[in-house]
Amino acid sequence: MNRLARCLLPIATVVVAMQGVRSPQTNPPVERDLVAPPDVKAALRGACYDCHSNQTAWPWYTAVAPASWIIHRDVDVGRKRLNFSSWGDYADDPGTLARKLDEIAQSIAAGDMAPWYYRMLHPGAQLGDVQRRSLLAWVKQERAAQTAFAH
Amino acid sequence: MKLKSILTLVRRRARVTLLPAALVLLLGPCADRAEGAAPDSETLPQITVEHGRFEPSELVVPANTAFKLRVTNKDSATIEFESFELHRERAVEPGETITVFMPSLSPGSYKFVDDFHSDTPEGVIVAR
Repeated sequence: MNRLARCLLPIATVVVAMQGVRSPQTNPPVERDLVAPPDVKAALRGACYDCHSNQTAWPWYTAVAPASWIIHRDVDVGRKRLNFSSWGDYADDPGTLARKLDEIAQSIAAGDMAPWYYRMLHPGAQLGDVQRRSLLAWVKQERAAQTAFAH
Repeated sequence: MKLKSILTLVRRRARVTLLPAALVLLLGPCADRAEGAAPDSETLPQITVEHGRFEPSELVVPANTAFKLRVTNKDSATIEFESFELHRERAVEPGETITVFMPSLSPGSYKFVDDFHSDTPEGVIVAR
């Protein structure tokens, strides 16, 4: 056995062993998904839905550790924080809906969503200026509708 | 003569139907008070945040009934009342009381946290 093989063998063994730690790739039923204009929905689907909905696309590499661990964590946290598939639940409490809309606006304005490593793998997830403006206009419109409804 | 008797009859009928209605309107609120009914805000389930703790930390509510929950922040910093399981997220300013519309819950336990303060012990809503 040459030196290279002697180095690679333990690494390969560890990588293979890592594949034994698996998380299920689940997409729970979508019951109360967001209803929004088509351009808004398309932008959110492209940039957000993989982590912030129950309609996650699970490509092959999402089953390969250690990438799978990071992706599963992102999806778990993402769904907990904001899940477009539960939008109807948020809407049942106007204060929660307002908070979610404000947080979406903040994230879009700050440009911190989607994370850089996600955008590297999904170039289509990068929101362009037109999409960003359209999303911010939608948030503003929804908030105004809420305020009008409350008074 | 006939017209006079009709008018008398109408007056009597009016007395018979209107008097109880007037009594109900006048005494209705008193009856409510007599039964100990409190204003709406007092009967709503309530959670208070004080000294970095939820009080009560376990709130029991009836299962299968939507309800309104009042959350009061008696601390000096803004808190975020959040339940991931119930899809509720609300910021509460110091001294403020908010009303959260809660869904009808299946029997079980549902956690809530102050998402702005990870050291605040989590609370639980128990639907029975």
